Amino acid sequence: MIPNDLARRVGEWLRGGGPHSEIVISSRVRLARNLALHRFPARMDEAEAALVEAHCREAILATGEVEPPMYLPLHEMPELDRRFLVERHLISREHETGTLPRAIAIGRGEVLSVMVNEEDHLRLQVLQSGFRLAEAAALADAFDSGLEEKLGYAFDARFGYLTACPTNVGTGMRVSVMLHLPALVITRHIEKVFQAVSKISLAVRGLYGEGTEASGHFYQISNQASLGKSESQLVRDLEAVIPQIVRYERSARTTLLAKDRHRLEDRIWRAYGMLRHARILTSEEILTLLSAIRMGLHLGVLPEISLSDVNELTVFTQPAHLQKIEGRELSANERDLARAKFVREKLGENGNA
Amino acid sequence: MICEHCQKREATVHLTEITDGKVQEINLCEKCAEEKGVTIKPFSISDFLSALASAHSVGKGKGAPEQACPACGISFAEFQSSGRLGCPEDYTAFREQILPLIERIHDATQHTGKAPACPGGADAFECRRRQLQADLRRAIEHEEYERAAELRDELKELDAAGGEGAPGEPPPPPAEETKETP
Repeated sequence: MIPNDLARRVGEWLRGGGPHSEIVISSRVRLARNLALHRFPARMDEAEAALVEAHCREAILATGEVEPPMYLPLHEMPELDRRFLVERHLISREHETGTLPRAIAIGRGEVLSVMVNEEDHLRLQVLQSGFRLAEAAALADAFDSGLEEKLGYAFDARFGYLTACPTNVGTGMRVSVMLHLPALVITRHIEKVFQAVSKISLAVRGLYGEGTEASGHFYQISNQASLGKSESQLVRDLEAVIPQIVRYERSARTTLLAKDRHRLEDRIWRAYGMLRHARILTSEEILTLLSAIRMGLHLGVLPEISLSDVNELTVFTQPAHLQKIEGRELSANERDLARAKFVREKLGENGNA
Repeated sequence: MICEHCQKREATVHLTEITDGKVQEINLCEKCAEEKGVTIKPFSISDFLSALASAHSVGKGKGAPEQACPACGISFAEFQSSGRLGCPEDYTAFREQILPLIERIHDATQHTGKAPACPGGADAFECRRRQLQADLRRAIEHEEYERAAELRDELKELDAAGGEGAPGEPPPPPAEETKETP
């Protein structure tokens, strides 16, 4: 079962703080690690998976970063709880649907987490709000070194950390930031960002998989290659580029405001009105509306709502979250009603937020 | 962007057609694209990888595709079709075939980042050496040059002491005999 405090509050990384947090939602560092002398998860049988899981659990708990109740075996968990963890960005879809003994360990108020027996034996993640890559990388590095004292990692002098998929070999590191770029989408400049970014071998994806306009104008930018550069080089590469995109988005927002203030304000206030009074809200619709609200906050158009409220609404109105709150399974129609109700209560339909 | 055909749904398929030397862009939704015979197969990383793996091992001579990893038993052909390796030993068993693939993916073939102080199976000497190398690299990255110099000396000493089966450090000079006081 999901511990209660996880179900009721938002992760530390969604509090909305950190540098450039009006545009950079979060900074993430992921490390892929495997134990030597064991097959990769896709090739393991149940017994080997259980053994690797037990080794990893012991090592993870020994670091003191994860409290025992926050080490959650997934193969014993109800399906709804696993979907909840996917929505929380703590486990992947692949990890959700696996069958082998596997787990998720969570520390530091969701800043730190480890997937055990996903594609690799260990996937360490540090997720922080705002633009704080170096800090996230340092935390991941320290945690990794703590685990390494207890576990014999699979490592090769030439290929670095050995992973199930050759795309992750080397540092095993993926550094990424989640950006909110509505003005670049509205002004149709987003393609230019994609082109520039792919030229320097960085990858762009949407919030969930492929980038689409519908997913709330969220874009994730990450390194493509994990071999050949050191960890700090990978961090520096991304650190160098992101402020440029942030500036680009800011200037697009300023341009929109200067050229078409009324239309932009109307767009934002309409979104606010819809959220406050709608009776049915789909998950697609709410992301689009919240995207306008998020931009409205930054431009000072909407004074009575905070960034952490917006983040909370984004997280808690996802399907599995709504069902955890209601305490039962809901059909898609019931969810759309429950979502609208949750938002109205949060924003105070008849009063202030 | 709205689909040019139905004028209703979001256009997600963008085609570039060249007719009579004129370039024209067509934007369609998935449904209309399908009706027009433009089918888009869902794309997965493993398809991509297995294609790469096949392309890069053709004509490489060394290692037949049916050759299996002694540790986990998967063959290179199996890796080619799934895009996933079986165990860490595969990187040794299929080294020749995997190298060009890794180069294609990462545009590099040599790891330069962090190394575990004690990777699985390394002996104490190798372990200490890697630890020092990692510390040295970090010191240089953080521009702590004094510390880097110390670490470099320590590495040199270690190499001289145990490098290639050398008989260890020269024995320390015999301690001065304490002169008996008359």
